[in-house]
Amino acid sequence: MPIWNQTNVNHLLARSLFGFSAKDSQQAMGYGNFSDLINKALLADAPMPAAPNSWVTLAPLQAQQNDGSAGNWYRELTYWWYNRMLDEGLNMREKMVLFFHNHFSNERDKVSYPQHMYQQNQLFRKYAFGNFKQLVKDVTIDPSMLIYLDGNNSRGSSPNENYAREIMELFTLGIGNYTETDIKQAAKVFSGWQVKDLVSVFDSTRWYTDATVTVFTKAAKFKYDTLIDWIFEQKAAAEFISRKLYQEFVYYKPNEAFVLQMADVLRKNNYEMKPLLRFLFNSDEFYKASIQGSKIKNPSELMVGSAKLLQSKATDTVNLYELAKTLQMQLFQPPNVAGWPGQRDWISSTTYSHRGGFTDSLLTGKRYNGVAVTGKLDALTYARSFVNAEKAVEFVDELVALSLRFPLSDVRKKFLLDTLLDGTTIMNWSTYTASADTRINKFLKALMRLPEYQLC
Amino acid sequence: MAWLSGGVAWGMGSMTGKAYAQMPAAFASAAGSLRGKALVIIQLNGGNDGLNTIIPAEDDIYFSKRPDIAIKKENGLPISNGMYFHPAMTGIKKLYDEGQVSVIQNIGYNNPNRSHFRATDIWNTGSDANVLWDEGWASRYLTTKYPSFPMKFPKDPMAIQLGSVESLLFQSDMGRFGTVFEDPNLFYQLVNGSSADTDLPPATMAGDELGFLKQIATSSIQYASVIQAGANKGKNSFTYPTTNLAKQLAIIAKLISGGLETPIYLANIGGFDTHSNQLNQHLNLWKTISDAVSSFQNDLKNQGLDEYVSVMTFSEFGRRLNQNGTTGTDHGTAAPMLVVGKTVKGGLVGPNPNLKNLDSNGDIKFVYDYRQVYSTVLRDHLGLDAVNTQSIFKQSFERLPIYNNSPETLPENSSLELVNPVPNPVEDYAFLQYSVFAPNTFETKQTIRLAVYDLSGQEVQQIYSGEKAIGSYQMTLDLSRLSAGFYIISLSSSTGQRINRRMIKQ
Repeated sequence: MPIWNQTNVNHLLARSLFGFSAKDSQQAMGYGNFSDLINKALLADAPMPAAPNSWVTLAPLQAQQNDGSAGNWYRELTYWWYNRMLDEGLNMREKMVLFFHNHFSNERDKVSYPQHMYQQNQLFRKYAFGNFKQLVKDVTIDPSMLIYLDGNNSRGSSPNENYAREIMELFTLGIGNYTETDIKQAAKVFSGWQVKDLVSVFDSTRWYTDATVTVFTKAAKFKYDTLIDWIFEQKAAAEFISRKLYQEFVYYKPNEAFVLQMADVLRKNNYEMKPLLRFLFNSDEFYKASIQGSKIKNPSELMVGSAKLLQSKATDTVNLYELAKTLQMQLFQPPNVAGWPGQRDWISSTTYSHRGGFTDSLLTGKRYNGVAVTGKLDALTYARSFVNAEKAVEFVDELVALSLRFPLSDVRKKFLLDTLLDGTTIMNWSTYTASADTRINKFLKALMRLPEYQLC
Repeated sequence: MAWLSGGVAWGMGSMTGKAYAQMPAAFASAAGSLRGKALVIIQLNGGNDGLNTIIPAEDDIYFSKRPDIAIKKENGLPISNGMYFHPAMTGIKKLYDEGQVSVIQNIGYNNPNRSHFRATDIWNTGSDANVLWDEGWASRYLTTKYPSFPMKFPKDPMAIQLGSVESLLFQSDMGRFGTVFEDPNLFYQLVNGSSADTDLPPATMAGDELGFLKQIATSSIQYASVIQAGANKGKNSFTYPTTNLAKQLAIIAKLISGGLETPIYLANIGGFDTHSNQLNQHLNLWKTISDAVSSFQNDLKNQGLDEYVSVMTFSEFGRRLNQNGTTGTDHGTAAPMLVVGKTVKGGLVGPNPNLKNLDSNGDIKFVYDYRQVYSTVLRDHLGLDAVNTQSIFKQSFERLPIYNNSPETLPENSSLELVNPVPNPVEDYAFLQYSVFAPNTFETKQTIRLAVYDLSGQEVQQIYSGEKAIGSYQMTLDLSRLSAGFYIISLSSSTGQRINRRMIKQ
């Protein structure tokens, strides 16, 4: 059993949530043990959030594209989702929604109506802790997916192979666990569907007419859902999604022995996600010292997490929206059907530099290009919310422990302390001196520009 | 602990050093060049439909398999031998007519993969289909060219990618070779104010990630100012279209013009995964490429830089001959590549796609391996030698007649290669490279004879006689026993092939 202490709890929050504030961390410690924190907070079921607006039920019309409505609604949908993340508290449902959005990657460039994307986003929320097999079935005939992977209008007589390939390669089994023939045969089974306004409709006259098709050596008159049942009978299925979860929540290079344990849990629970997540977050593997601080934050974690860390009251979601594009994680616009690869792929000379620019913007109230950012930090009020605000060394230690999962060397702590003091002495430090405001801002800027800050 | 804001190199503590083969200087760059060569790679993301790019518009099968999306002969732009450019490729067609475009047909590899991601990795790493490599072929070339990296960073960026997410092409176990940005001035502005320290991170899983972040920080700090200075010094002398690809190429031209000695640039255009309604989309894509590339060539030509630069396109696969039920095409295999520049031979290389003899999946069989194109570009454009080229791919690939200085003939006619000895004239020792290729697909070796002859045809010194495994070889010849005069070094094979190279002994 993992040891219950602040370090391990902060590690759990850093990975399962979009970052956390000092208050979140204290509240989590209040649960007193992992079991209660996980069951009563992280994995607790919650009602579905209200829709961002009434446009979600409008039938798609070309006019909505022409007059710019669709683009504006996509923005609204994205702000709405950021607000779900910012307000997640100690519940990890939104993290799972993002996990599934990345897993069943759909791009708004092709799914041009946000109504479809909103439906899919709510589907992920519904199944965040639910049955993965059923989610795959629902996603298969989800309008957004039908549009994105060309199931829409695919006919049994000359089926489009796109969805059949990606469900096997990227959604359920992984490369090497199927043949080109399996894809061709499965493509027939997935045919017959069309998107009509906001729903998908099956038309048997567009379906395949062969008596049977053969997939994974079994011949049958498969339907889309019985074929998915059969896909989940393949050994690779439970391992594939377990590996992906491991890479998201633990470490990007999977520990295959542990992945097999996860797959066992998943199979025994008939592909229910909640028991698997409970197993993962109660495991010693998850809390290993070598795992902590080894994940490169994705841009959503970085941006939402920084806002939470700074206890931002009115986070500028326009700023998040714009910077997400620059940082290569525009929501509803993953790079391709494989989603965002994550970890080191987040970082290039450009994105690394822009990350620093983003955290600066929360302190300065200005984006790199000069555009104003709302919710600028009140440095003095913020500092004084910490019990150690008037003790420079302890204040630095407290902020480091709160915001960095990578253990910082004493030399680097000294650098942060020197930045905070900026010429004054430990003895003379007080948030009530004339330039304390500037000093705290400089210190926070340096803290969030440390390469260590990019890790969680 | 030292903090730095530029100039000082940061050593990668947790990364192991690698032995490398130092090239003799004579092989390292083309003699007489005022500046180094540059290769500009344009990646076509999604799998470009080769058959609607370089079109077999006189082949009835093409029309019968693509009733809704075939492009008619009268609309295509004629190349030769029954092949036509897509109608949108007017700029490239003009360059072709000027002898500046080599079109290499049916490029692929054995056991082709039809997954976007795996196939892209194969093209980026230069591996066989059944082998997983995690280093880009370009980064292995750059490891040879910059053996001190990452202990030392060379003056100019080793590779530049326009965009935001670094390609596997530039990733290696030694670190990241690419500097990635969208705009030189913005890049400078963002990096300004960053710092990186020289502490070594601990050798742990998290420490490795921290080391990675620090390397990126350090190279960004170092190169942001170099790139900005290059962009300010350089210029564009031609008006480019406003497309994203054209903007990327305009920046590259400006940096080359500004004196950057970066050998490899990567630009990118997406949208080639044309599963449905492909005609319009594909047209727009090729209009974009054609207009951008022809602007780039005009710009370089106006500035007298066109002999130093060539452009190569690649995509992860071609698309199926048969159209699908949604007037698009599904994932396929072999497809053409374009190499553009003043120093290319120009013309159509290789036979036309064979639409009768398809593979079991209904896809075109490849004729030339994609690494034959890479090997040709590395050797005949970037000036890498045969042995180092082999070490990049861990196999020798016969070159194709792409550049003016490439071999004249297509590979099925040759099974040997002998490079001119250096130095020449020689005093006592000469450096010699030769390659033995498979005369057919079954052989893994050849019986060869390598010897020195005088002008009367008399053998004066035998170098090697016997079986040699397929591959590239290098050796230092001791010629101290020979008297001054003219000699021939001759490499012959039991297949009947013979190559002679002249040599003067001082």
